[in-house]
Amino acid sequence: MVGVTAEEQVFGGVRLALLGVVAIIQLGLGLRPLLTYEYGPGAWPAYGALALVTVACAPWVVRRRPLPVPLVVAGTVTVVTASVVATSSIPPDAHFGPPHWSFGLVSWHLLVLLADRVPWLLGALGAHIGGDLVLFALAGPPDRTEVGAAGVVVLGVTSFQLGLLVLIRVLLRTARQAAEVAAAEERAATRVALAEQWAQDLRAGFAGGLGTTLPLLADLADGVADPRAEETRRRCAFAATQLRRLFAEHDEVPDPLVHEVAACVDVAERRGLAVSLAVSGGAVDVPTDVRRALTAPVAAALSAARERARVSLLRTGDEVRLAVIADAGVPVHAESGQVEVRCDAYGERTRTEARWRTS
Amino acid sequence: MADQLSVVVVDDHPAVRAGVAYWLSSGEPPIRVVADGEDVKAAWLGAGADADVVVLDLHLGGPTPALGDLRRLVEAGRRVVVYSMRADDEIALQCLELGALCYLTKAEGAEHLVPAVRAAAEGRPYTPPSLAGALAGDRSDARPALSAREAEVLVEWFQSESKDFVARRLGISVSTVNSHLERIRIKYAMIGREAPTKAALVARAIQDGLIGVDDL
Repeated sequence: MVGVTAEEQVFGGVRLALLGVVAIIQLGLGLRPLLTYEYGPGAWPAYGALALVTVACAPWVVRRRPLPVPLVVAGTVTVVTASVVATSSIPPDAHFGPPHWSFGLVSWHLLVLLADRVPWLLGALGAHIGGDLVLFALAGPPDRTEVGAAGVVVLGVTSFQLGLLVLIRVLLRTARQAAEVAAAEERAATRVALAEQWAQDLRAGFAGGLGTTLPLLADLADGVADPRAEETRRRCAFAATQLRRLFAEHDEVPDPLVHEVAACVDVAERRGLAVSLAVSGGAVDVPTDVRRALTAPVAAALSAARERARVSLLRTGDEVRLAVIADAGVPVHAESGQVEVRCDAYGERTRTEARWRTS
Repeated sequence: MADQLSVVVVDDHPAVRAGVAYWLSSGEPPIRVVADGEDVKAAWLGAGADADVVVLDLHLGGPTPALGDLRRLVEAGRRVVVYSMRADDEIALQCLELGALCYLTKAEGAEHLVPAVRAAAEGRPYTPPSLAGALAGDRSDARPALSAREAEVLVEWFQSESKDFVARRLGISVSTVNSHLERIRIKYAMIGREAPTKAALVARAIQDGLIGVDDL
């Protein structure tokens, strides 16, 4: 259930149990004295009013919803009034004895109505017990035995019900703490999951950035790749370009794309390649992953070039075009995605172009 | 040889002046450098005053480009090839606006300088790859509308630096590539301020049938 705390759920159950107790006491223990003894005219209406309060509360209690405040106020007033009326109508000298059916029952009603509002509950219980005691005193000066008997009943019933109230509060507090612990555990689990995701992204990022470097190093170490072979040298050149580009990616520069392309060109020039780089059009914002996708074909084409290459970067109003014309017959494998890569060979020359549409 | 092209080179670096003179004289047919100097005076006085083409460095010692000198030369009807160290799109477009027939960067050597001077002597524009890039990347509001094919020719020429390559890729002849480039320059000449060289360029294009009178 959305929006319902563990505490509310537990309290709903407790209140349902209390309502059951009230119903049983009212029907089982309350009805018998009424049929057995002689009462004044207020007894049956008081009994009916108490039964009515129980029935009125039932729809909310059974659905484990909190009781509406008007119902609680009206119910409490009715119950306390019924208590006074019922006590006034019991046979003389029967206070706190077996015919005094309302004394214990009213307290249970108050518990159902007010168990979640402890100060109100104590006030209402005080009014109920106080009222009964006043009526007891008004009925004529009691002797010592009667006072003793009344004291035992009041103390027994009240302490049992207060004890129950304390238990309910402890139970609710425990439920709240359990819910808090569960929520904390859930938060911790979420944090762990997030951290794992982050670490995985980081690893994937490095794997994407390092790309062919790790397998190449493994092949060189295992002796699978021969450093004298043309293909191995091309792989080394590609790995070096990728690494250099990866380092450039983290630099704080005004035009990161040009910076990264220049890094790729720099590696190729160190390899002895004659590379001309031309940049045209003003800088535009290019997201990191798009920059990666744009420069990857450049790195591949440059590492395949033998002597000369022309790298050009053109930024118009609606697209970024990064092209390499190289003297290598090796076509670059195109990666698809946000960036469109085309590779065509014209005789000895290969044209590789990565295009990204900004709009 | 009376019909030999004559050039005046204005550049503040003697090595550049010597290098340009060497490239031009090695052309076929050779182009004669009749005067040179570190100051624009060389183009106004003496033998330089009658030279067919002025090769002008934009940065003559000072930090500000010599756009005023360029404007005065063009207004006097001189054909100017700007030869600059800076590959700056904005300055390149400004030079075209003022009426320079070509804007070359010093990264572009004899293979572009010689044809640029030859074209300028005939009052024709020449568009080297860096300038093609500047035109393709032009985002100004005043830029002329280019056809899709013209835009593609500009981009391919900028990317490849080879007209053969552009022609092969687009399935057209090299002369068609040239006429596309020339038509683009005429479109640029028809916008912005007036200059004798720009008017001559448009007139010539009509004469050659490159554009019709209706296009004006």
